[in-house]
Order: sequence, then C-alpha cells, then structure tokens
Amino acid sequence: MSTEEVRLFIGPQHPGVTGNMSIEVLLKGDTITWAKTHIGYLHRAFEKLMERRIFIKSFPLVCRICVPESDTNEENLARGLEELADIEIPERAKWIRTLVLELSRLQMFIMWYGGIAGSMGLSTPVQWGIGDRDYILDLFEELTGGRVYHIYILPGGVRKDLPEGFEERVLKTMDLIERRLPEYDELIMDNAVEQKRLKGLAPIPKEWVEEMGITGPVARACGFPYDVRKNSPYEAYDKLDFDVITEDGCDVWSMLLVRRREIDLSIKLIREIVSKMPKGEFLTRLPNVLYWEIPKGETYVKSEATRGEFGYYIFTDGSGKPRRVHVKGPSFIHGITLLERLLVGQNIADVAPILVALQICPPEMER
Amino acid sequence: MNIIERLKERFEVLIAEKKRKDLLIIETTKKGLIPMLFYLKEYEGYRTLTLISCVDWIEDKKFQMSYILWNFRMKANIIVKFMLDRENPDFETVYKLWPQAEAYEREIHEMFGVNFEGNPTQNEELILEDWDNIPPMRRDFDTLKYSMEKFGEREPKSRINIRKEISEQYDEWRRK
Repeated sequence: MSTEEVRLFIGPQHPGVTGNMSIEVLLKGDTITWAKTHIGYLHRAFEKLMERRIFIKSFPLVCRICVPESDTNEENLARGLEELADIEIPERAKWIRTLVLELSRLQMFIMWYGGIAGSMGLSTPVQWGIGDRDYILDLFEELTGGRVYHIYILPGGVRKDLPEGFEERVLKTMDLIERRLPEYDELIMDNAVEQKRLKGLAPIPKEWVEEMGITGPVARACGFPYDVRKNSPYEAYDKLDFDVITEDGCDVWSMLLVRRREIDLSIKLIREIVSKMPKGEFLTRLPNVLYWEIPKGETYVKSEATRGEFGYYIFTDGSGKPRRVHVKGPSFIHGITLLERLLVGQNIADVAPILVALQICPPEMER
Repeated sequence: MNIIERLKERFEVLIAEKKRKDLLIIETTKKGLIPMLFYLKEYEGYRTLTLISCVDWIEDKKFQMSYILWNFRMKANIIVKFMLDRENPDFETVYKLWPQAEAYEREIHEMFGVNFEGNPTQNEELILEDWDNIPPMRRDFDTLKYSMEKFGEREPKSRINIRKEISEQYDEWRRK
C-alpha cells in the first residue's frame, strides 16, 4: 500500500456537484487533504452584456444569473434602478413583489429539501421535490406566463396585476404543500442514515462567519441571526411579522434544520402577504423606457436569496445604459473561500452533501 | 460624533455621502484606503467584507475600486472607494484582513488587469482560459470585434435554409 496522495477532479460532470463547476482535491486514502474550486464552465459575460444594453433590456438577462431562483435578480436590479432614478413605486406593487419573492424562495427550498437527500443516494425525495415545486411553477405560469424565467418585476412595479382568484389558488397550493411535507420529514429527518451522516458533518468555526462574510442559512445554522429580510428590510418585509430562524450546531444537519424551518416560515409569510395585500395601482408611469436615462450615481442593493445575501452594485453615468452592474452572489464566498477550507479533512463521500448544504450555484459565481 | 466626523478626523476623506439610512459612501485616496479599512474593521465594527468591485471610468483614465463592508451590530453597509490610475493599476491586497478578498482580487485582476501586490493566487485563472487580449471587462474591449477576429464571420442560417438542408440530406440518403 502506498501512502501517496491522489489528485482527483470532482466535476464538472458529476451527479453530486450542484452545477457546472469542478473541485480539485488531493486525497490521502479517503480523506481530503487539499481542495481547490475551479469555475469558468458557464461564463456568459452577463455583466459585460449589460453594459451594452438599455436598462429595460437587461431584465431578460439577469433572471438567468441563477436559474432556479430568478426573481431575486429582477427585484434587485429593479429596486436599484428605482433608487438611482428616484422613482416611488405603489404599495400594491411592493406586496406583489414580496409575494413573488416568497413563492420563488419556497419552490427553491422544496427542491433543495429533496436535493439534500439525493446527494446521499436517497432518490425518492428528489423526485418529490421536483414534482411539488411544479405546483408553484403553475402559479407562476398563471401570473407571469413563464415557469422558470418570469421577467415580471420591472422598474416602477410589476408587469401585470394579480389575476382574479389568484389568492385563493395560492392558499390552496400552500395547503397542498403543507400536507406533503410530513412525508418528506419521515423520509429525511427520521432517517437513521441521514442523521448519522449529517450530524456533526463539516462544522464551521463560528468566527469564520463574520470574517469571511458567510450569509444566509449557512450563517444562521451557526447561530448568527443574519437575514437581510430582517436586518435591512426591503419591499414589504418590514410590515410582516416573523423571527429570524437560527440553529446552533454549525454543521450540515443544522443547515438542514434551518432550511426545513424556512419552508414553514415561507408558507406562513405567503399566507400573511395574501391576507394583507392592499388594493390599488400596480405600476407607476415611467418615462419612455427606450430613451430612459438615469443620472450619474452608484448604489448597492441587496436581498435575501435562499443561499444568502444577494447584492447588486449598480453604477450609472447619465447615459441610457448602465456603466457597470456588479452582481454579488452568495455562492462566490461559499463556493471558493469557504468550500476550499471546509473540505480539508472530510471524507470524499461527503463532498456532495456539503456542496448541497452550502447550496452552491455556479452561474452566480461567474456571471 | 458620528462616523463621518470620526473618519474625517483620522483620514483623508474626499467625499462622504449618506445614500440611505444604512448605506454610507466614502471616497478616500489610494494611500489612505488600507489604514481606513483596518480602522473600520477593528474599531468601528465593520467586520465583514461583502464585496470588492472595480469600475472603468475610461474618460477620466481611472479605475474606481470599491470595498463594501458590513456592520452586523449597526446593521449598516459602508462603501469605501478610491480612484486608481488606469495606466499603471498597481495596488496592494487586503487578503490579510479578509480571506475572501483573495478570490475577489483574483477576479478583478483577470477582468480589469489591476495588480494586487501580495495576493498569493492572483495569477491563477479563475474564469478565462488562455486569454490573449486586453482584460475583457475594460471599456475599450470590444466583444464584437474580438469575436470577429477570433472566430471570423459566420453566415446566419435561417430556419428555411436549415429545413432545405435537412430535406436535401434526406433525399440523398433515400437515393442511396
């Protein structure tokens, strides 16, 4: 037996990797001694393309930055441009946006909940997750016309008002999903294999959270109440009643618990939004968007995605096109800085659960 | 005494603008940036680095470097920025203050050509592979021109032409 280290590439084509990225690892036996993230497999130069387009044409682009959760991008860009151009949006538009954001968060979490089981070879919840997510995509299709990419949130409000009877259908879908969740719990939470493998897996030192800028459910699993919805409320989140969910384990199991409780929170928030939805206008009058010029300025807007803090740093220069839009995806830190340090000392078989637990989304690292 | 006054007392502050309740924009000089970041991190509670960004103001021959910090206790962001000369863009790394700066600086080095002295990995490729032109996020890089030079002009295929081609291929196959 030689004790030599083996160099191994995990990805870009690997069922356990959460997207087109690869991790280069050095192995000693089964244990990882060194890891490096390689990205660049799906760079589509969104930031560069946005510099050559008028503002309104950027919206079909940005929703493709993270595929399963596209609305966060549109909302961030719209809010940033509104702030720079000094536009007030109507109250109802804010509530509709919040509803769309929560729905998109819920569908992403449901898919994730199945995905964490799939990363360990339990493939039933994966299919369920994809299936149950489709009920929410049906709602999106009715509301926006698109299932995955919506291009629904625009500067000044939203593209269309809610259709008649939409609220009841949202509530019905919420009941349906809530009925399904105990079945997931039985398979995932009450599963001895999952518990044994995930409890205590990949513990994150607490001081890393602030030092590295870890956000979202990963930070909340370390006992850090970091939630942009609560810390710097945007849209209608300041009028909603909720507490930030935290766990204290710092391991993958705590991240699972945080996200499981987030699903319940999202359902509760959606019900609250529907009950509080005000009447009125849904779109303000904008200047002609084809000749829309925004004065010189810069701003940083952020929102809470399922993976963490999602930010847009927007620069305008007085012309009809943005000077630069820098998209800050949470996966950039989670996938490079954190992952490279976290994988050291772990078993090779645990790479997939760790990747899914950090919920790394490669397209938002490369933009 | 608020934070702007405290910063003005200690460092060179060119512009201080309160953009929102929780967002402050400070412009400083190249020399004063790293001491200011250190002060903000150690004494003002802005312990998290959220983002490092770079913008090309080609008409002023400057790069704008921005550092966004986050204060968890005060729930506020601060943007510290300075102008870097575009002709010789040399600066220092802040890798020792925040580990994630390494990846951000690697990206900026690749996309803008800014040189961060002291960054251990900045010459490794992050996204691009075998890049042979000026850094692509600079304003004077023309994507269309580059694509024409590199890949040449290709005739766009209309749907009718594709259909014709397929049916011709099919006929040929039948004749055999």
